Amino acid sequence: MSAPAAATIRLEEVRRLYHSGEPDEVRALDGVDLTIAPGEYLSVEGPSGSGKTTLLNLLGLLDVPSEGRVLWQGAPVEGLPERERTRLRRTGIGFIFQRFYLLPTLTALENVELPLQARGAPGPERRHRAEALLAQVGLSDRARSFPHQLSGGEEQRVAIARALANSPQLLLADEPTGELDSVRAQQVLDLLEEAHRTSGAAVVVVTHNRTVAARANRHLTMSDGRIVSDSAGR
Amino acid sequence: MNALRWSIRWRSLRHRTAQTILAIAAIASAVALPVVLLSVGGGVYSHELSSIEEVGFSISVDSAASHGISEAHSLSAQIDRISGVAAASPILSVPVDLFTPGGHVVPVLAEGVIPAAFMATQSAAERALLPSSINLGDPDDSVHYANGTYAGISSAQLLLSTPLLQTLNVSTGAVVGLSPSSNASAGTVFTIEGSFGLPPGILGPSPLFVALLPLSQLQSLVGLAHAPTGALLDSVDSIQVAMAPALAADPAAVQRAATAIRALVPYYSVTSLTQQTTEIQNAQAVITGFYVGLSSIGLIVGLLFLVIILLRRVEQERQSIGIRRAIGVPGWMVARGIVAEALGLTAAGVLAGVAGGVTTVELFARYGSGTVSDIASLAVFNPIELGLLAAALVALALLASALPVRRALRLSLPEVLR
Repeated sequence: MSAPAAATIRLEEVRRLYHSGEPDEVRALDGVDLTIAPGEYLSVEGPSGSGKTTLLNLLGLLDVPSEGRVLWQGAPVEGLPERERTRLRRTGIGFIFQRFYLLPTLTALENVELPLQARGAPGPERRHRAEALLAQVGLSDRARSFPHQLSGGEEQRVAIARALANSPQLLLADEPTGELDSVRAQQVLDLLEEAHRTSGAAVVVVTHNRTVAARANRHLTMSDGRIVSDSAGR
Repeated sequence: MNALRWSIRWRSLRHRTAQTILAIAAIASAVALPVVLLSVGGGVYSHELSSIEEVGFSISVDSAASHGISEAHSLSAQIDRISGVAAASPILSVPVDLFTPGGHVVPVLAEGVIPAAFMATQSAAERALLPSSINLGDPDDSVHYANGTYAGISSAQLLLSTPLLQTLNVSTGAVVGLSPSSNASAGTVFTIEGSFGLPPGILGPSPLFVALLPLSQLQSLVGLAHAPTGALLDSVDSIQVAMAPALAADPAAVQRAATAIRALVPYYSVTSLTQQTTEIQNAQAVITGFYVGLSSIGLIVGLLFLVIILLRRVEQERQSIGIRRAIGVPGWMVARGIVAEALGLTAAGVLAGVAGGVTTVELFARYGSGTVSDIASLAVFNPIELGLLAAALVALALLASALPVRRALRLSLPEVLR
């Protein structure tokens, strides 16, 4: 079966098993079919252990399925060498983590520059783009600050700027407001929404929070490694 | 290399100050040992070689027994006639007592020589320490020796080393007595004809108090002219043989002359300095190999330490590595960072080790006692050896980073970012 050319990423009958064949086998994902089109804004909800993070890892090409196929823009990615999957991550996918995961030894500006450097962008272009992204998330004045000098909200805004650096087609956010108070959470969600609107990237947000999920225009609910509901609308 | 990469590495090092210092110290210790061993060992051998090259003779004839070369005048004359030989100089060295007119008694090393032959076997550097000509009343030592009679007119002249002359506070023309024992009346009275400087010793100080006098005079004085039975002894310690200037640098000519001498006196040791040089070079190669082997143990320990430090850093930075891999930093960039860190630590260790080794040798030379100071002051820091050492360390650093690189590139991203 071939994926529609329009799909950013498609999962076909994907299973992710841990300790496969052993008595303590875990089915983190169990036969998931999912197609994400460009520009979609998805929320993924579900209780702990339902497979949300595993799904996000597979969508982000950080992990490979035990069974089934993952197709990036119509092309299967299982069997690709790690080098090629890294290239796809670099050019097509942006990550926003719950715990921000900024590199502590780099300034905010350098953290945003990192994906650009990995792409091989020249120094001045890299610097200019990183400064523009920090301005976009309202942190021009904190460009030289290190992560430990930033608030949680500021760190997550830097992480969003970093995720947008290489203009990805898919933006993956794992509990992006999980460590923030409500005011800062709203600011981050506004930024995410703006990024979605301006970049045209598909956005997938994994969350426990109804308010966060409410921003999406498509809602998935997971349970026991399966997608138990898939609905559209805000 | 761009600024961002530098800043990543520098801050990584700075944030692990203790580990960085330990790694550099381990490598520096591993480097300092070969620097000290190779520089001092090489220096001693170089000094020995240059000392050999600086002497004016090419062949040495010796006997295993004390004063065992008998009939020295006759043998020297025979050696003189061998093709290519310019001069053969028999030498007898005996400690004696020197008596001054003021009643002082000083032990000195008396060297009996045939003045003309002795001068002919001295290098230009050695001749510069001597008077322009040595007469001692009998340049050929033929009058007193007279074919083994020891009955001619005694020249009774000698030269004293400059330090001895200064210590005795006497001048040329003064009279001193030499005796084989503390009994002055058993000795002979000599007139001081002049003085000479002393060449530097290979290791340790040379004897400072030396007297140079005609060979037959010293033989008579110490009883090495005739045996108690009256038989001719005419004994010396060694005969130094100089080649004609055109042949001195020709190993084959020297070897031919040595073979001819060996045929004359197969019961004596005949050594060419070319042969000695080769033996010293061979010994140096063996010792250098030993030093390198010994040092490689230290280098391997330093390498293992570096591997452990790098593995520990990969473990500590697994999340940072995971983040970078997740956002698309290629594996080779991560590997390059680890290799660069290994090379950086190694380069710092090499610099510190070389500086430490050089400083250690300098301190030994300046503040070490006796022989330690003398040996350390001979040290030679060979840039080629140091370069090879640094290259070996770079190769080891690349080797040391292989395992940490492999570990870093095999991190499970979902696990690291959980």
